[in-house]
Amino acid sequence: METAMEPLAWGAILATILRLFLPVWIALIATFALSITFKRRLGLYGKLFDSTVGMIGFAFVMFWVFTALFAPLIETRDVLSQIAQMKNALPGTPVPDGSGHYLLGGDNLGRDVFSRMVAGSRIVIQIAPMATMFAFMVGVTLGLPAGYYGGLFDTGLSFLANLVLAFPVILLFYLLVTPEIVETGLPQYLAVVLFVLPLLFLVLLVNSRYYVTPGFRNMVIAVILVLGGWAYLSLVSEADTKVSVLPQALDFIHMPANILIVFVSVVFVNAPTVFRIVRGLVLDIKTRDYVSAAQTRGERPWYIMLWEILPNARGPLIVDFCLRIGYTTILLGTLGFFGLGLSPESPDWGSTINAGRKLLTIAPWPALVPAIALMSLVLGLNLLADGLREESLKD
Amino acid sequence: MTATNWDPSQPILEIDHLSISFFTRLREIPAVMDFSCKVMPGEAMGLVGESGCGKSTVALAVMRDLGKNGRIVGGTIKFKGRDLTTMSDEELRHIRGKEIAMIYQEPMASLNPAMKIGKQLMEVPMIHEGISAEEARKRALEVVRDVRLPDPERIVNAFPHQLSGGQQQRIVIAMALMSKPSLLILDEPTTALDVTVEAAVVDLVKDLGKKYGTSMLFISHNLGLVLEVCNRLCVMYSGEAVETGSIVDVFNKMQHPYTQALFRSIPLPGADKNARPLVAIPGNFPLPHERPKGCNFGPRCSYFQSGLCDAGDIPMVPIAGDERHESRCRRVDEIDWTAKPKVKQGAARGEIGKVVLKMEDVKKYYEVSSGMFGGGLKKVVKANETLSFEAHEGETLAIVGESGCGKSTFAKVLMGLETATDGKIMLYDRDIQNTPIEKRTTETVSGVQMVFQNPFDTLNPSMTVGRQIIRALEIFGEGANDAERTARMLELLDLVKLPRSFADRMPRQLSGGQKQRVGIARAFAGGAKVVVADEPVSALDVSVQAAVTDLLMEIQRKNKTTLLFISHDLSIVRYLSDRVMVMYLGHVVEIGTTDQVFSPPYHPYTEALLSAVPIADTHVTKRHIVLEGEIPSAMNPPPGCPFQTRCHWKSKVAGGLCEKEVPPMRKIASGHEIKCHLPDAEFANMEPVIAIAAE
Repeated sequence: METAMEPLAWGAILATILRLFLPVWIALIATFALSITFKRRLGLYGKLFDSTVGMIGFAFVMFWVFTALFAPLIETRDVLSQIAQMKNALPGTPVPDGSGHYLLGGDNLGRDVFSRMVAGSRIVIQIAPMATMFAFMVGVTLGLPAGYYGGLFDTGLSFLANLVLAFPVILLFYLLVTPEIVETGLPQYLAVVLFVLPLLFLVLLVNSRYYVTPGFRNMVIAVILVLGGWAYLSLVSEADTKVSVLPQALDFIHMPANILIVFVSVVFVNAPTVFRIVRGLVLDIKTRDYVSAAQTRGERPWYIMLWEILPNARGPLIVDFCLRIGYTTILLGTLGFFGLGLSPESPDWGSTINAGRKLLTIAPWPALVPAIALMSLVLGLNLLADGLREESLKD
Repeated sequence: MTATNWDPSQPILEIDHLSISFFTRLREIPAVMDFSCKVMPGEAMGLVGESGCGKSTVALAVMRDLGKNGRIVGGTIKFKGRDLTTMSDEELRHIRGKEIAMIYQEPMASLNPAMKIGKQLMEVPMIHEGISAEEARKRALEVVRDVRLPDPERIVNAFPHQLSGGQQQRIVIAMALMSKPSLLILDEPTTALDVTVEAAVVDLVKDLGKKYGTSMLFISHNLGLVLEVCNRLCVMYSGEAVETGSIVDVFNKMQHPYTQALFRSIPLPGADKNARPLVAIPGNFPLPHERPKGCNFGPRCSYFQSGLCDAGDIPMVPIAGDERHESRCRRVDEIDWTAKPKVKQGAARGEIGKVVLKMEDVKKYYEVSSGMFGGGLKKVVKANETLSFEAHEGETLAIVGESGCGKSTFAKVLMGLETATDGKIMLYDRDIQNTPIEKRTTETVSGVQMVFQNPFDTLNPSMTVGRQIIRALEIFGEGANDAERTARMLELLDLVKLPRSFADRMPRQLSGGQKQRVGIARAFAGGAKVVVADEPVSALDVSVQAAVTDLLMEIQRKNKTTLLFISHDLSIVRYLSDRVMVMYLGHVVEIGTTDQVFSPPYHPYTEALLSAVPIADTHVTKRHIVLEGEIPSAMNPPPGCPFQTRCHWKSKVAGGLCEKEVPPMRKIASGHEIKCHLPDAEFANMEPVIAIAAE
C-alpha cells in the first residue's frame, strides 16, 4: 500500500460506504424477494408488503438489524483504538500509518466515527428489543388480571401505574445510578423482581393449558424451570455484589450493572403504559362469547387470560411493540446522553452523540452520524408500526 | 332549486341494468349485477335477501355513497328522470338528505352524540332550504310529534344517549322526514330493536309513508316485515335480483326456486318439527368471486338441470298474466309451482322423560351502588324474581322475552357464572344454586352447556376448530390420550355434519352457520344433558337457520337432551318447542305447553308479543296490538305488576290492583300458568291473535 494516501472526496466516501454495506444489501434484497414472493402465505407479516409505508419502514429497520448482524464485516477500524493525529479529523482523512481512511472522520479522541456508528447499532439492536420485550411481559402479566378481574385489584394496580407514570423519569434514572443507591443493591433487587415475571409468565402459560395432561405439563414445566431458572439466576446474580447466589462457574450471563440499570429503567418506564393498553384490550375482549364459552366449560382464569384473550389482543400489541422499540431506542440515547447507563467509551449512539455535542461547532460529524442513524431507525420503526396498523385493519 | 320536467306518473326511482363492483387489491369483486327495479310515487318497494346478496349496496349506490373501493360499472339510476350516476357532487348534495333520505340499522351510529336532538333535526331544513332557526325548530317539534314521541319539548332538548334505542330510531326517522323527501331508503331499520318496539316503529313507518306520500325502498332480510310494509318486493340472491313483483304475486305465486326455497325454510304457522319439518336450503351462499357460471342459485337448486342452468347469463323474464312480475329462471315455465314440497320422513316424536332440571323460586338480585367511590345509595336490581319451572329429559323449553327480561341472568345463574340470591336449582338430585362453576364437578359442568348467540363471536379467532373442540374434551375429561380425543373430535364434527377436514381450519375460514355448528359440537363434547341455547340462530341467515335448527333437534332426539331455547322469535319457538315460558322484567308471566301459550287465554304481554311478530304469510291475519312506551328499566321497575305501564287490559281490573300488587301465578289449565290480575271472565273472552285463512 502507498505510504501517503490522498484524502477521499465525498463521492468516494459514499461509494466506499455503500460497498462496505454490501452484505447488508444482499441480505435486504433476499429478505424482500422471499417475502414478496410468499406474501400471501405469511399472514400479517405478508400483508405488510402491500403497504408502501410499511415496506419502507421495514427496510429501514432491517437495514439496521442486518448492520448489527454483519457489524464485524463492515467495521473498518477498531472502535476503541485512538489515534492522536486523527482527533476531529475530516471525513475521508487517511490514517497516518496508511492502513486506510476514517470514512466519516474522527471524534474528539481520535476514534473512527463510521466504525463506532456501525458497532453502536449492535448495542442498540441487542438491548432495545430485549428491554421492550421485558417491559411487555411485565405489563401483560399485570394487565391481564387487572382487566379480567377488575375491582379493587384493578383499581390498586391502575393507581400504581399512574403513580409511576407521573414520576419524573430522568430523576428516576439519576436515582438509580447514584452510587449510594447502587451500593444498597436496589437496582439488583428490582431486577430480581422484574426478571422473575417472564419466568412466571411462561409457567402460567404452560400450566393453564396443559394441567389437564399432567405428564406432559410436568415435563415442559421442569424444562422451563431448569433452563429459565438458570438463566434467571445467572442474570441477576453477579459476583461480589449484593445478589450473588450462583457460583461463578455456573454464572454464564455476565450482565454489567449499568446494562441492568438500563433494563430496569426501560421496564419501569414502559411497563405501566403497556399495562394500561393490555387492561383496556382485556376489558373489551372479555365480553366476547368465546370467553363466556370458556367460562361455562369451567376453564380457569389464567387459561382464559393467556389463551383466549391474549392471542386475540395481539394486533394492537404488535403495533405498540414496534413503536415502543423506537421509544426505547430514544430512551437509550437519552440515557447515554446524560452519561447514565452504558459505559462512557461504549459506541452506542446516545453516548456518542453526547460526546460529540461538545465540539458540534468545530466538528459536527461525530455527533451527526449517530444522530442520523438513530433517527432513521426510529423513523423506520414508526413507519413499520403505521404499516402494520393499517394492514391489520384491512381484510 | 333545479327545475325538473318530471311527470309524477313516471317512476320516482328507476334503476336500469345496474352493476356495481368493489375493487380490492386482489381482484374486482362484482357486488351487484344487472339489477333493475322501478319505484312508483307513493310505492313501498322491499329489497329482500340474505346477507351479502347486495341489497345494501344497491341502497348505497342510489345515495352514490359506495366508498372509494366501490364503483358503478354499468347501468343507470334515474331519480325523477335524472341520472344519478353521472351527477356532480354539487348536484348530489342537493338531492341527498333533501329528496332522498336514508335510515340506517344502528340508530346510535346515525346520531351525533355530542349534539342535542333538536339541533340535529333543525340542521336539515336550515341547510337544504335555508329557513330560519325558529321555523326549523317549529318543524322539528312537529316532526317529533309525528313520530309519536311523548313530550317533544323534552326530547328536542335531550342528547341521543338519553333516549332508548326505539326512541333513537324514531328520531332518525324524524330527521329523514324533516326535509319532506320524496324517497326514503330504510336499511334494516328495526334489526337492532326488540320485537314489540319493532312493531311500533314499522307501524309508524307505514303511516308516515301514507301521510307524507313518500316512496320507500325498504331493505330487510325479514319476509314478514316486508309483507307488512311494502306493496312490491324484489328478492335478491348473490348480487342479482331473482324475482320481482307485487307482494301478493311473489308470496302466493312465487316463480323462482330461491324464493320458493326461502319460504319453505322459514317457520310459518303450521310447520311442525316432527310432522312437517322445515326444508333447509342445501349448501352455502357462494362467495362473490366464486359464483358459478349461469344461475347463481344453481348448485343449491333442486330444479337444477346441467347444460341449461349453467350455460350462461340468465335474463329476467316477465311472468305472463301478472303485472310487473319477473323471474330470473330458465325453467320457469317447466316447473310445477303449485306442487307441495316432498315431506321428509317425519321423525318420531322424542320421548319426554323424567325431570332433569328444577328451579324453585330462584331470585337473582344485583346491588348497584351509585357515587364515585362505591358509596352513595345502594340500588337493588331485581334481574330474576321467583323463577320456578321444571324441565324434562328430551324436552325443549323455550324462554321468550325481550331485552332486559332476565333471560341472560337466568342463563348465568344456571351455568354457575353467578350464584342465585335465593331459591333452589336442582340438576337431577344435586343442589347447584350456590355452587359457582369453579366448585362444580366436571360431571355437572359438562352436563350443563351453552350455545351462544353470535356465530362470529362464539369461536376463538386464533385457534383451529379442531383444537377448540379437543380443548373442551380435555376439560371434560373425555378420552384417555390425544389420539382418542382427536378421534372423538372427528366424530363430533360428523355429528354436526361438517367435513372432517374442517378440524384444521381457522374460524375465519368458516361461514356463520358452520361456526354455529362448531359451537354446538363443542357444547355437546361432554355429553351435555341440559343445553342452554341463547338465540342460536337469530344472527344467521334465513336459509341457514332451518339447517341449524334441524341439527339441534336431531342431536336432541339422539341424546335425549333437555334444550332450554332462549329466543325472542315466536315463529321459531312455536316450531320447535314443547313448552314455552314468557318472561318480562325478571318475572315469568306465562308458562305452558306451546299450544296453550299460543292460543287464548293469553297473558296481555304474550298477546302483544304474538301480534308484534311479523309473519311472512298472506293467509295469516293478525289482531293489531301496538304497545306504547318502552320497556321499563330493571333498575327502576314500576310498582305492582311489571307490565302495567304498557298493558292494554289494565282498565279491566278493578281498583287499580295492577299498580299495587304483583299478581300471583294463576293456574289456568293443567300445566298452564299466567301471572295476571285479570278476572276469569275476561280470560275466557279473549280472542286469538292469529287467524289463518283457509288456502
